[in-house]
This record gives sequence, structure tokens and C-alpha cells, in this order.
Amino acid sequence: MTAVNLLLAVIICALAAYALLAGADFGAGVWDLLARGRHADRERRLIAHALGPVWEANHVWLIFVIVATFSGFPSAFGLIARGLELPLAFALAGIVLRGAAYVYRAYGEGAAGPESLWSRVFAVASSVTPFMLGVSGAALATGKVTADSGPLAPFSSAFTLVAGVFAVTVTAFLAAVYLCHDAGTDPGTEDLVPVFRRKALAAASVAGVVSLALLPLLYQDAPTVAHRFTERSIPFVVLAVVCGFGSIAVIWKRRYVLARATAATAVVAVLLGWAAAQYPDLAVGTATARDSAAGAANLHALLIAMGFGMAVILPAFFVLLKVFSGPEADAK
Amino acid sequence: MLGSTLTDARVQTGFSLAFHIVFAVFGVGLPWLLIVTEGRWLRTGDAVWLALTRKWSRVMAVLFAIGAVSGTVLSFEFGLLWPAFMARYGGVLGLPFTLEAFAFFAEAIFVGLYLYGWKRLSPRAHWLTLWPIAISGTLSTLFIVTANSWMNVPTGVKEVGGKVVSAEPLAPLTGPGALPESLHMLLAAIMCTGGVVAAVYAVGMLRGRRDAYHRRGFGVGLVAVLAAAPVQLVVGDLAARVVEKYQPAKLAAMEALPHTRDHAPLTLGGIYDPDTGKTRFGLEIPDGLSLLTGFRTDKTIRGLDILPAKEQPATPVVHLAFDTMVGAGMAILGLAALLAVVAVWRRRKGVRPLIPLSRPWLVAGALTGPAAMAAMLAGWEVTEAGRQPWIVYGRMTVREAATTSGGIGWSLAATVLVYLGLAAALVLILRRLATGAPPSLAAEAGGPGPEPQDPDEDARAAQDSETAELEGAAR
Ligand code: HDD
Ligand code: HEM
Ligand code: HEM
Repeated sequence: MTAVNLLLAVIICALAAYALLAGADFGAGVWDLLARGRHADRERRLIAHALGPVWEANHVWLIFVIVATFSGFPSAFGLIARGLELPLAFALAGIVLRGAAYVYRAYGEGAAGPESLWSRVFAVASSVTPFMLGVSGAALATGKVTADSGPLAPFSSAFTLVAGVFAVTVTAFLAAVYLCHDAGTDPGTEDLVPVFRRKALAAASVAGVVSLALLPLLYQDAPTVAHRFTERSIPFVVLAVVCGFGSIAVIWKRRYVLARATAATAVVAVLLGWAAAQYPDLAVGTATARDSAAGAANLHALLIAMGFGMAVILPAFFVLLKVFSGPEADAK
Repeated sequence: MLGSTLTDARVQTGFSLAFHIVFAVFGVGLPWLLIVTEGRWLRTGDAVWLALTRKWSRVMAVLFAIGAVSGTVLSFEFGLLWPAFMARYGGVLGLPFTLEAFAFFAEAIFVGLYLYGWKRLSPRAHWLTLWPIAISGTLSTLFIVTANSWMNVPTGVKEVGGKVVSAEPLAPLTGPGALPESLHMLLAAIMCTGGVVAAVYAVGMLRGRRDAYHRRGFGVGLVAVLAAAPVQLVVGDLAARVVEKYQPAKLAAMEALPHTRDHAPLTLGGIYDPDTGKTRFGLEIPDGLSLLTGFRTDKTIRGLDILPAKEQPATPVVHLAFDTMVGAGMAILGLAALLAVVAVWRRRKGVRPLIPLSRPWLVAGALTGPAAMAAMLAGWEVTEAGRQPWIVYGRMTVREAATTSGGIGWSLAATVLVYLGLAAALVLILRRLATGAPPSLAAEAGGPGPEPQDPDEDARAAQDSETAELEGAAR
């Protein structure tokens, strides 16, 4: 495997980590937005509680993806940044407002406006960001994004817009599945499990329907990638479909730990299917990975640094997730 | 002029960096201070230390989040505003930025453990999670600033026809400016944190809340800012020598020196007039600059005239910013020296606490916060405006690097609005957090409440163990 391909693989893995971890955080925000009725406040509290310790660490995966892209493929990054400036700027605004709203709500004690205000900001921003990121990813496949294609180009096809919606439904699905399990670990929130179970099932169905709409649009608006999709991505599609239906089945049977695994696998399979079809283009028609790569010595240095870095960070990440899984016990 | 894409991009970059850095310094400094306060609590079990720790960790949570989101904006902005710069040099800066990302990971992971782990970790394990936060915060400063110092002194890169053909991966980390500049920033972060913490508690005491909680908060902050001051002078001097060697025009702008000459004077303050080359209202020390740089009066210093007028940095701004920074640094250093003498004297006489807490001293202590912040921002203005018109010194101009997109005015307006809104909300929240010692503390310890204390309190408290601790911290 060449250094270029290895770096691409690292970036895809990081993107998958971002989708699974931060994606669920965004989805939780979507449920915050949709929370209604007599449980609404307790749902919001469960969501905030589940997010607390992990959201900053989850969010660093995106920074890692950006940094790896501009370090490894600088000229493509310059071009992508120009072509996607509008959706990225909106995603960025969403990220800023969401993070700020989250801590202001948690620590503000009402000093800077009522909690409900920040709750709203948090929820809306959480829904906008995955939509914009979905649009950005899909736009790279269309071949319509170039350095001077204009700010609206990424929004100009049905495919990218539906992909944005798809991203939102997928994050909502992940979040609902994770929250089913979280709610069940604490007797105080156990009665919310059926609420999130219903939400998980609904989100899974909606995501399935949206993906059905997405496929023909892919062939219509992104012919190059669609062609490679037919050639290379069928196994991933099969995996995604099996795990998608599998998730619905295990959620139905109330096996929430297993549901986490199947849901995550389905999402990763979708991502890999897209990545396989996108390869070797970073932005179809304008930048391939190999042509835009930094010098070999720099790529090697990056990969070595990433190897050492991950060896330190992954165990720490694991400890973080472990310490905060399960109910709060008093310190040993 | 505002409204041109280039200017808007510059203003947006400067604004978002300045916003970020104002919060990021606390992400670097507070973990080190928390190591002290929580460590003291572990050893003494004293509720005052715990109360300080709890309060500061809440403040850190908010500032850390704002630092994180505003930092994310920066990493996007490099591409959005300076695409040509990233396209050409992104690969060169890859290593420090990648290492930086790992430092953020470590920070974010352990901050999560620290902030939310009070009940899930043993007290000792909880204290230990501060170390990776502090160390990775420190490393993140070092990494990011080496990237900036490479833009100032771009070494180790071969280019042909505007394309990088080979770049030493380690170049940013081993460049001549990397060490002094990044150490300088690290010390700046510690000084800013210490100064602002000292200022908060000094103001509390000036308003009459003279309890142990305020005295110790003040002491820890003040010691941090004052102890770093002398080191900062040495490191700043090293940084200036690197500038003299590799960016002579920047040094000339810092010192408002229009013409290359020996017996160069040192000009303190004043407004530089680019048309006449004269500095009005400045204080001129004959031979000063030659002496400082070369240790002899006839050393020749390169002036602004080594470059055609169009390529010279914005001297009036750079000169004033430089003198603001050095002036603030010297003032803090002066206070440090004075307090050191007073503390030695009071120790001889057996007067406690070693740091006097009467009004003038509290006011002086409170001023270290704004002074350090002003110096830090002015320092960045020196570095960045002094590099003009280059984004990468001698290789790429800011104009070449900038985006050509038309919508930057909107993005600038949105950035300013959102950031001002967030900052206003943040100020309200921090004010709410600054309510003095928690009521439980006063009740629990049976100690002094938040009411004003009589002036003899200082002397009487001499026997208190907590004052002995302040004294320990002061040393
Ligand atoms: C608390 C903050 C603070 C204080 C007291 C000082 N500085 Fe500073 N200075 C900074 C905060 C700062 C900074 C924000 O950290 C900068 C911007 C970039 C950097 O590395 O540090 C900086 C930059 C900077 C530069 C430009 C470096 C370059 O462009 O490569 C020089 C020459 C100095 N400083 C010199 C000094 C001297 C001689 C000081 C004497 C007391 C001093 N600084 C105090
Ligand atoms: C690797 C790190 C950095 C990069 C790549 C960078 C890049 C830039 C760029 C592209 C500009 C706009 C062009 C210009 O006017 O100079 C700029 C301006 C500026 N930056 Fe930096 N910067 C870095 C670090 C910092 C930091 C950490 C600060 C701290 C606050 C800072 C403060 C400023 C300021 C105040 C300006 C406006 C200067 C002016 O135009 O007068 N920079 N920087
Ligand atoms: C100019 C270039 C800079 C860039 C591109 C940059 C980028 C970033 C990014 C992406 C984050 C978010 C990390 C997260 O999500 O946890 C961040 C946070 C942070 N940055 Fe910066 N940064 C710059 C300058 C600096 C400087 C000079 C310092 C040193 C004082 C600094 C200190 C921090 C710290 C401590 C954090 C963690 C959040 C916090 O503690 O507030 N940054 N930065």
C-alpha cells in the first residue's frame, strides 16, 4: 500500500469515528429539538447527561480529519475549501453555536438568558451541522465543485440536498439507539427506554426511505461515482442493508447493546461504500489523491506521527468511554 | 479598506485569532494552577483549596469549550480564507498541525474525565487527570506556535515555480524561531492566566471580601504571573535576537528605525510617521538599540530602508504594539522585583503574610491581569503585522494567499456578530460564577464569611495555618 492510500485509509477511519461518535451527539441534538410532551424535559436532561464528558473528545475527530486532509493533500484542500465554502461555513457556525450553547446551558445558571434559549440554539445547530456536512460530502462526488464554481454550486442538485437529509436521519438513528441503552442503565430514566426505542425504529425507517430516494439521484447527479459504485460498492451496500434491517429487528427485540453494534456497522458500511466509489478522486473531476499529495517525506512523517499519536490516544479514549459507561457509582 | 476581499479576510483572521487566543491561554494556564490547588487540597484536606479548585474547574469548563469551538473555526478558516496558502504550504506545516491535533485529543479526553469524573474517580486519580491536560495544553501551544514561527522564518523548503518540490518534515519544529517563540507564548499564557486570576480575587478583596478563599486565590495567581515575568524577559530577548537576524525589517519596524546605521538609538513609545521617517512624542535613548543588540555602541542595525517603501511592514502599529508589550512586561517585572524585596523585608521582621494586602498592593496585583493580556495581544500584533506584506516571509505575500471569493464581507460580519454575542453571554456567566466563596465553606470551616473584615485581620491571621500556606506559595 502506498503512503497516499494509507493516509486515505486513516482519514476514512477518522471520518467513521467522527460519524459514529460525534454523529450520535448531533443526533441527540436533533432529538432535543423534537422532544415534545410530558417527558420532554427529562429527555433533554438524559441527552445532556450522555453528552457531557465525551462531546469535546468526539469533536476532535473532525479537526483531525481536516488537519490530515490539508497536511496530506494540500492542493486539494485549497480547492475543496473554496468550492465548499458556503456549506462549510454553515457547518462551522453550527459547530460553534452548538458547543457554546451546550456549556452555557450547563454552566450558565440562567445568567446569560434562560436555559430554554440555549437549549433551542443547541438543538437547531445540532441539526444544521450534519445536514451541511452531508451536502459537502455529496458535493465532492458530483464533479460540480471546482475552485470557481460559486458558493451555491454544492446546493444545486437534488442529490446533495437529499444526502444532507440522509446525514441528519442517520445521526438521529444512531443517537436514539445509543440513548435506548443509556436510559436503561439508570433506574431514574428507565421509563424513557420505550420512548427512545420508538424513536430509533422511526429513524431507522426514515433513513431507509431516504436512502432509497438517494440511490437514483446518485446515478443522475454523480455519474462518475455512480459508475464506480456499481463496480465496487455492492458488498458494502449489502452489508449496510443487512445491518440496517438487523438493527430494526434487534431493537424490536429490545437488545440494545447488540443494536449499537449493528447500527454502527450499517453506518460504517454506507461510509465505506461512498469512499470506495469516490476513490481515487478527492473532488471528482478536479483533484485526485495522488496528484494533490504532499511530498513523500512529509507523508511518511505524518504517518509515523499518527501511528505514535494513535497508540497514545486510542487507549485513553477507551478509558474515557469506559469510565462514563454505566451508572454513577461513588469513588472506590 | 474594509469591503475588499483581502482586507476582510485579514480582519476576520486577526479577529478570530485574537478571540481564540484570549480564551485559549486559560486552557493552557488553568490546568497548571489547578494542579497546585487540588494538590494542596489532597495533602491538607482544607476545604478552601477544594472550593477554589471547584470554582476554577467550572470556569475552565466554559473557557475550554469556547477555546475549542473558536479553534475549530481557525482550522476551517485557513482553508476558507487562505486557500492558496494552504494549497502550497499545508504539507510543510503538516507535522506540527498533526501533532497539535493529538494534543487536542489528549486534552479533550482528560478534560472530560476531569470535569465529569468527580464522583467516578478516586480523589487521587482525579488529580492525576490534570497532568495530561496541562502537559498536552502546553504541547499544543508549542506545536501551533512552531507553525507560526516557520511562517516567519521559512527554512528547509525547496520550491520551483511556486510549487514546493521538497520540504523537510521537521523544518517547522527545528527552525531558529521555534523554541524562543513557543516558549514565549507558553510563558505568556501562564502570565495571562495568573494575572487574571489574581485580578479577580484582588477585586473581590477590594470590595471587602477578605477571607482565606480570596487571599489564596489571589496568592496563587499573583505568584504565577510574577514568577514568569523575569523568565519572559529573557525569552523575549532571545526572540528579538532571532528577529534581528532573520527578519531585519520587522525589527526595524518594532524599533521605528527608518535608516540603516550604527549608533542606532532606542526609541521608546511615540507615533512613527512613515512619510518623514520621524517618531513624534517618542523618548530616544542614544546608542540604545546598538547596545542592546550588539553590546557595543557602533553596531550597525538594518533599518526599514533595506526594503522599498511598498514592502515595509506597518511600522506605526508594530512599533506601538511592541512598546506596549515590553512596557507591560517591564511593569510586571518591576512589581515582581518590588514585591520580592518587600517579602524578604517582611520575613526578616517576622511580618505575615509576606505579600502585603493593603489597597495599593491589591490594585497593583489586579492590574497584572489586564497588563498581561494586553502584552499578549500586542505581541501577536507585532509578530503578524511585522511580517507584512508576507504571509510566509520572503516566499508568499498575503495578497497571493487570500481567497478570491466574493462573500467574505458576509462571513466577516457574521463572525463578528456571533463572537460578540457569545462573548457577551460568557461575561454574564463568568460574573455569575464570581460570587465569592461558596456559603457552605464559611459555615463548614467556621471561618470568615463574605462580610468585610477589619483591617487588623491581616496581622491577626498571621498565626493561621492558611496564611503560612500563602507564604509557602509566595516563595
Ligand atoms: C504576557 C505576555 C507577554 C509579555 C509580558 C511579553 N511578551 Fe513578547 N510576545 C507575546 C507575549 C508577551 C506573545 C503573544 O506570546 C508573542 C506573539 C508571538 C509569540 O511567540 O509571542 C510575543 C512576541 C514577541 C516578539 C516577536 C517574536 C517574533 O516575531 O518572532 C518579540 C521580539 C517579543 N515578544 C519580545 C518581548 C520582550 C523583549 C518582552 C519583555 C518583557 C516581552 N516580549 C514580553
Ligand atoms: C500557525 C499559526 C498562525 C497562522 C497560520 C496565522 C496566519 C495569519 C494570517 C494568514 C493572517 C492574515 C494576514 C495578515 O494580516 O497578517 C494573520 C493575521 C493576524 N494574526 Fe496570525 N496566524 C497564526 C497565529 C496567530 C496567533 C496564535 C495569533 C494570536 C492571537 C495571531 C494573531 C494575528 C493578528 C492579530 C493578525 C492581524 C494582523 C494584522 O493584519 O495587522 N496569529 N495571521
Ligand atoms: C493560529 C493558529 C491556531 C490554530 C489553527 C488553532 C486551532 C485550534 C483548534 C482547532 C482548537 C480546538 C481543539 C479542540 O476542539 O479541543 C484549538 C483549541 C485550543 N487552542 Fe488553538 N489554535 C491556534 C493558536 C493557538 C495558540 C497560539 C495557543 C496557545 C496559547 C492555542 C491554545 C489552544 C488551547 C489550549 C486549546 C484547547 C481549548 C482550550 O483550552 O481553550 N491555540 N485551537
